[in-house]
Amino acid sequence: MTLHAVDYFILLLYFVFVLGIGWYLKKTVSTSSDFLTSRHSVPVWITSLAFVAANLGAQELIGMCASGAKYGIMTAHFYWLGAIPAMVFMGVFMMPFYFGSRARSVPEYLKLRFDEKTRGLNAISFAVMTVFSSGISMYALGLLLQLVLGWSFTASVLLSAAIVLAYTLLGGLTSAIYNEVLQFFLIVVGFSPLAILSVTRAGGWDGLRSRLPAVMTSSWRYMSHASQNPMGVEVFGLVAGLGFVLSFGYWCTNFLVVQRAMAARNMAEGRLTPLIGAFPKMFLPFIVIVPGLAAVALSHMGVNYELPRKGAGFDYDQVLTTLMAQFYPSGLLGVGLTGLMASFMSGMAGNVTAFNTVFTYDIYQSYIRKNAPDAHYLTVGRVTTVAGVLLSIGCAYVTTLYNNILDLLQLVFGFVNAPLFATFVLGMFWKRTSANGAFFGLLAGTASAAATHGLTIAEGKGGWITPAATFPSTMAQNFWVAICAFTVCFVVTIGVSLFTRPKPIAELKGLVWGVTPIPHDEFVPWYERPVLLGAIALTVCLVLNWIFR
Amino acid sequence: MDLRKPSGYFFTLLGLVLTLMGIFAPGTRAPLTEVNVNLYAGLTMLVFGAILLLLARRSGVPR
Repeated sequence: MTLHAVDYFILLLYFVFVLGIGWYLKKTVSTSSDFLTSRHSVPVWITSLAFVAANLGAQELIGMCASGAKYGIMTAHFYWLGAIPAMVFMGVFMMPFYFGSRARSVPEYLKLRFDEKTRGLNAISFAVMTVFSSGISMYALGLLLQLVLGWSFTASVLLSAAIVLAYTLLGGLTSAIYNEVLQFFLIVVGFSPLAILSVTRAGGWDGLRSRLPAVMTSSWRYMSHASQNPMGVEVFGLVAGLGFVLSFGYWCTNFLVVQRAMAARNMAEGRLTPLIGAFPKMFLPFIVIVPGLAAVALSHMGVNYELPRKGAGFDYDQVLTTLMAQFYPSGLLGVGLTGLMASFMSGMAGNVTAFNTVFTYDIYQSYIRKNAPDAHYLTVGRVTTVAGVLLSIGCAYVTTLYNNILDLLQLVFGFVNAPLFATFVLGMFWKRTSANGAFFGLLAGTASAAATHGLTIAEGKGGWITPAATFPSTMAQNFWVAICAFTVCFVVTIGVSLFTRPKPIAELKGLVWGVTPIPHDEFVPWYERPVLLGAIALTVCLVLNWIFR
Repeated sequence: MDLRKPSGYFFTLLGLVLTLMGIFAPGTRAPLTEVNVNLYAGLTMLVFGAILLLLARRSGVPR
């Protein structure tokens, strides 16, 4: 792939705009909450698109196209099953408590609802995890640019990190969110031509269906048994593991996305954020996954396109960029490449802005220095932003040296995250849930996740205690680890709560169902009613599932 | 700040660049494309940018 002056010009234009937006928003920052939380100042259409974009990192873009080529349209389960229902639940049922509690972060909600130790556990694991995930995505991008364009790994990592740092440092969370929307537009504009061109060339959806094995063009038909589909998962593991535990855990409790909804101007708009976001989200598979399918079809057509190889197998992670090289002439290629950079930046800025808030409020202000003037926390927030970026760069380099350590860390964070949704759902909907119940439930859930992983084996992974059972794929193993963690956390939290003292009702106002005012929406127009919008989103999503069943 | 303005300007400029490419270098092709994609993509971006600017102008006050 070779770039020309015009492509570099487009990339430069994009850099100028993101930095310009950051520069312009500089004047909105005068307190730590301006910088870290945007102080409920962001219009709802912007929070909704940022909600979707913060999750749409470069790794996501590259990985979804890769999975499209590897597994086919069933990859869309990560959207239609693994995101939309959870986003609807978040908007309809959970936002009232996040907003009602006036918490500035997810760990702070846990502190208000439960106690200090539950917050500490969540804040520290979240802070470490965000740094590592932004480091890993930085590594992925640097590697790709090196491979495809011959750019130096160090130069591309440092340049893109410096730009993200500059605009988040200037305008804080507001700047990150505003840029995420620009980045979202750019991703859609930069990659939909690829979907259109590649699918058209492969003969449209019917052409894809005639050229690909049937299992790649059906999302549900081959799910009844793990041996029938390339993902190696069966319908229960898929629906309960991905569609319930993992997706609700991510979309409803991960501060990276929740933070965007919390930046909305009021509770009504906070609730609408994930609901409006659900609509663009459910159509993203057509842009990010379908080109992967087209690539496989094209490779069977004798048009001089072959799937990228690595050794004896395929290197699916390069499918996206090889398609760009085949379909994008100079000019549009610049837009596509800029879209890739944009996705990387939105993912990284999402991580960094969530990290600095959790560190400043939930770690520094809670454990290191409690009653400082606000200007002090603003400085800490800024310093943490720089530190977060530097630590991510460090992680990117650690990844180049020790791939296995990071795999292990990701695994451990998976264990910590898997049971979280059980804690939240009990905390929000059952007044009796006690602080000790939540804390020990979380610990037991994490331990059982680790135990499940240690007792089962899939594709050579896990089984480090003793391989007592085998899963057909690591994906199935992940889903079942999550199911076990959730169930154990749920049961232990209830058990311990029944034997420990609950918080007095007076302290639960705004935090729990039944003692939190839910805004009435009989008098607002239909398109601002959360329940109705949620129902429409779920219906459209169901129709998509039916069409691509 | 009304985000529709900077986004509108950005996509108008981007559209302009691609449209000009499409007009003055109509033969620019990638191995598997047969049409003048820069022109079509550029015109689409121009329209998108213009819509954003129009929306920003119509509302007047920043939302």
